[in-house]
Amino acid sequence: MTTIDTAAPANGRVRRVPGQPDMWFFVFFESLVFTSYFGVYLYYRARHEQAFLRSQSHLTLWLGVVETIALLASSWSIARSVQTSRAGDHARARRDAYIAAGLGMVFLVLKVVEWVRQIQAGHTFTSSDFFQYFYFLTVIHFIHLLIGFVALGVLIYQLSSPARRDQELVETCATYWHTVDFFWVLIFALLYVVR
Amino acid sequence: MQTKLNRRLLAIWLLLSAITVGYVWIDRSANHHGARTASTVVTVSAVVLALFKVRVIMGEFMEVRGAPTLLRRLADLWIVIMAATMLGLYFAGKAAA
Repeated sequence: MTTIDTAAPANGRVRRVPGQPDMWFFVFFESLVFTSYFGVYLYYRARHEQAFLRSQSHLTLWLGVVETIALLASSWSIARSVQTSRAGDHARARRDAYIAAGLGMVFLVLKVVEWVRQIQAGHTFTSSDFFQYFYFLTVIHFIHLLIGFVALGVLIYQLSSPARRDQELVETCATYWHTVDFFWVLIFALLYVVR
Repeated sequence: MQTKLNRRLLAIWLLLSAITVGYVWIDRSANHHGARTASTVVTVSAVVLALFKVRVIMGEFMEVRGAPTLLRRLADLWIVIMAATMLGLYFAGKAAA
């Protein structure tokens, strides 16, 4: 007798956890860690609104928008890759994974360009409280992004040979990559848009 | 089947990107005579919209929509925890300012 929820979703498949459950523990744990960073940032920001607003005005909003859309497109590509891999079209799944990695690289390059521009303009880690949070959050995210490239490498390796192709592992890697994406969605709103 | 699913993913990406571009409009409308001013409405809207995007990413891209009830409930609970923590501390900071 099992109590597992097996109600069929709209697409007719049996409900199941995407990827390894361990990855979901990691996603939820990391979300709490990032939420605490975000909360502390918002608390100090609300206490010193004018100083934060002055420093924030040096950011380029459209650059943040392009970075976000690139990472969202990368996430979208990996979501396609997971679906096509499940459907058995591994060549297309691999192509979508490469597109995802390429768009991740676009984000990476834009981020580095943005840092260089800010540093050249004299806005460094010690310039102001706002820029301290800016570099802290973007660098922590950047490290997660770099680990994400390892996850994409594992995913592509899995899809490369008929001897491997472990769908659960593909989904696990994809789950990590999407997490990097949604952390950025939050960081973008908090650093570039919040007033 | 496959084409239909992929079209859904395209629509999701377009929705997420449209909200992202919408932030530019929010940012512009928050300026008073070209000057940047603090705004609780903008701050709360930006956080809520970002969390909505996170929920869509989890539901659609991360396939939580088709996952067992426990994972779906957990994902929703986490969105609520994130919202409560972020907005709670923001308002606490406003009160302490």
